Amino acid sequence: MSEQEQRAVERELTMSRAMVEAVAHEMREDEEVFYMGEDVADYGGIFDSTEGLLEEFGRDRIMDVPISETAYLGAAVGAAQEGMRPIAELMFVDFFGVAMDQIYNQMAKNTYMSGGAVNVPMVLTAAVGGTYNDAAQHSQTLYGTFAHLPGMKVVVPSTAYDAKGLMHNAIRDDDPVVYLFHKRLMGIGWMPAPDGPKTPVPEEEYTIPFGSADVKREGEDATVVTLGLHVHRALEAADALAEDGIDAEVIDLRTLVPLDTETIHESVAKTGRLVVVDEDYQSYGVTGEIIASVAEDGLADLEAVERVAVPDVPLPYARPMENEVVPDSEDIESAVRSAHDA
Amino acid sequence: MFEEMATARYYEERLQEEYLEGKQPAFDISAGPIPGELHLAAGQEAAAAGVCRHLRDDDTVTAPHRPHHVAIAKGVDLKRMTAEIFGRESGLSSGKGGHMHLFDPDAGFACSGIIAQGCPPAVGAGLAAKKRNEDSVAVAFLGEGAISQGAFLESLNLAAVQQLPVVFVIEDNDWAISMPKERVTDVADGSRRAGGFDMPGVRVDYDDATAVYDAAKEAVGRARAGNGPTLLEVQVHRRMGHFMGDPESYRPDEDVAAAEQRDSIERLADDLRSEGVEDDELEAIREEARERVDEAIEWAKEQPEPDPDAAYEDVFVNPPSGVTAQEPDHELAGGDD
Amino acid sequence: MSGTDDRVAVAASGVWPEDVEDDETAVVVNWFAREGRRVEEGETICEIQIEKVSIDVPAPVTGELVAIERGEDAELTREDVLAYVAPG
Ligand SMILES: Cc1ncc(C[n+]2csc(CCOP(=O)(O)OP(=O)(O)O)c2C)c(N)n1
Repeated sequence: MSEQEQRAVERELTMSRAMVEAVAHEMREDEEVFYMGEDVADYGGIFDSTEGLLEEFGRDRIMDVPISETAYLGAAVGAAQEGMRPIAELMFVDFFGVAMDQIYNQMAKNTYMSGGAVNVPMVLTAAVGGTYNDAAQHSQTLYGTFAHLPGMKVVVPSTAYDAKGLMHNAIRDDDPVVYLFHKRLMGIGWMPAPDGPKTPVPEEEYTIPFGSADVKREGEDATVVTLGLHVHRALEAADALAEDGIDAEVIDLRTLVPLDTETIHESVAKTGRLVVVDEDYQSYGVTGEIIASVAEDGLADLEAVERVAVPDVPLPYARPMENEVVPDSEDIESAVRSAHDA
Repeated sequence: MFEEMATARYYEERLQEEYLEGKQPAFDISAGPIPGELHLAAGQEAAAAGVCRHLRDDDTVTAPHRPHHVAIAKGVDLKRMTAEIFGRESGLSSGKGGHMHLFDPDAGFACSGIIAQGCPPAVGAGLAAKKRNEDSVAVAFLGEGAISQGAFLESLNLAAVQQLPVVFVIEDNDWAISMPKERVTDVADGSRRAGGFDMPGVRVDYDDATAVYDAAKEAVGRARAGNGPTLLEVQVHRRMGHFMGDPESYRPDEDVAAAEQRDSIERLADDLRSEGVEDDELEAIREEARERVDEAIEWAKEQPEPDPDAAYEDVFVNPPSGVTAQEPDHELAGGDD
Repeated sequence: MSGTDDRVAVAASGVWPEDVEDDETAVVVNWFAREGRRVEEGETICEIQIEKVSIDVPAPVTGELVAIERGEDAELTREDVLAYVAPG
């Protein structure tokens, strides 16, 4: 192999490292970007979301803040309205409750209420998801909650490649972006990731536009629409289904707001069968929204619909119960089979 | 107090062992007999024992994410609490809550994993006591990191303005995960927060269980007599990481050493010896504590895991189907007669 | 591939924490390079975990990563060979 060919054997990164690389790049380029959160400085983020940034940027730009989410998320709103580009981290998305007003009444609405005179170019990052028995207050994704309330763009990466490109875009975006990263995908030593989120990642910067879903696997027989951790569970299900001759297409939404309905509709037009998989609560959420959008524009294409989500219960602690309510690849497999056989 | 403290310390040491099982050499948070996060309170026993000594069963305590020592001091059923931590069917919450969400209404105990969010419900318990003319009191425990949270400050104000029988106890272990106290507040003495609400604020120095006992006696007495809330801050030590698995790379070695050296249990033992308590009496108490803890852990591990379908129960006490069944017939409910 | 003789071993010894015994067991958490990649001296090529701490392991020399001896989840101690790099 030539030196160039050898170098092209790509470098792979975990999702957390890919996110950090994008943040670091943006911070080097733009003095106005800074990062605030609990345990983001010396600790490097409980889920490695800021690992190594303190050393390069110092405490002025990688700021540990008091456990005062209302104050510091609101301060991010205020600094953003002054034209800075803050990134503020909620350690777990579940804690949004203590600062909800700043998120949904201020951050998300100030642009609209000001008739566009004000804008809020900030990123709110938060860890989401279960699968490690952290129980009801530390395991939610709340994807649908943020996507439901108007005024926030909502990003959910599932691979390192996507995480980096989406983060570049999030920081450069002139609107508030909620960037939800799944703990199980970060590639942290103490919470092993499934195969899949660690991918080749180019060293140079690149953006992935919001509202462009990614077909992670092409297939003819059924469309599985999902996001976050469940992209990987759906891919695993698709591999198992392939052995029985069922060819599933797996669509990774990547952003909930804006939502790429076109990619979904095209796929359903091809397969006729729609399975939506979500790690959020089932009712009034992502699954219903996707199915409604297909029904509105492409009802004639729909031969079968299934949804797989967390039944409407808080996340229980004990393993057998958590495993019961968080969809796994077998749940996805059987939903696809039902849709296929319908 | 010595008994509760010795029990709590040994309990945390034993849980640490159990937790790390299946998590070696690679630490995987979801492996082993106890999955999920685990926040242990070794080094903080004095605060819980000194305060709860003054409480009755009908008094209410709320604790934060680091609850075991408080639960033990408040008399929570040790076996069922342990079973809950192991995620078993006979646990306090039949396996639904886990270690950060322990509820024992019989012992007047509850905790929450969201910082400072135990404070408002404690105020509510005080409010109920006042409305019913009862002399029970409520105590909210929280860490020093939590004193920057709105829920705490709003609770102080509400308790003060309503003169409610509530005691707020800050356990100051110097650290909020990796953030030292001075990075997140300019007021080193957290009890000074009380001044802003015109309530008494008292700070108790490191590891002095007897001093905690004395300060709490006054605060609880004041609340019980209907004279309103008090804020206590007790300096304690975090002898283990924030959670099990915390590498503590951010923590200076001297700080870890200091936590190991100063030990409220040893200090209390010294106090007791100087009052004439014999060594073998203390050892007998410790031995009994160990037996009780070992027995609780053995019992918990023998309990069955919950049925997966139990996940669907307990969202409501009146499940939606029950409500529908009772809904009156439309015609009957009509307003014609 | 270059001759095996001049291969340089990648070990964790250079980044092994002082307060951890040499025969303590570490675990490979992540590889960031695949066999065949040209690595630069100092580039992080893998991550190991020792006593709950994550540590990055750099490439000892510039060259081609010719063999990974311990893959993800494999255990190692201080002197064990993680991989070989052929300098050049
Ligand atoms: C509202 C909220 N924000 C953040 C957290 C994450 N968190 C859990 S424990 C903790 C530190 C708490 O420090 P302190 O109150 O001093 O208690 P300690 O852990 O030291 O006992 C943090 C930030 C949380 N659980 N809830």
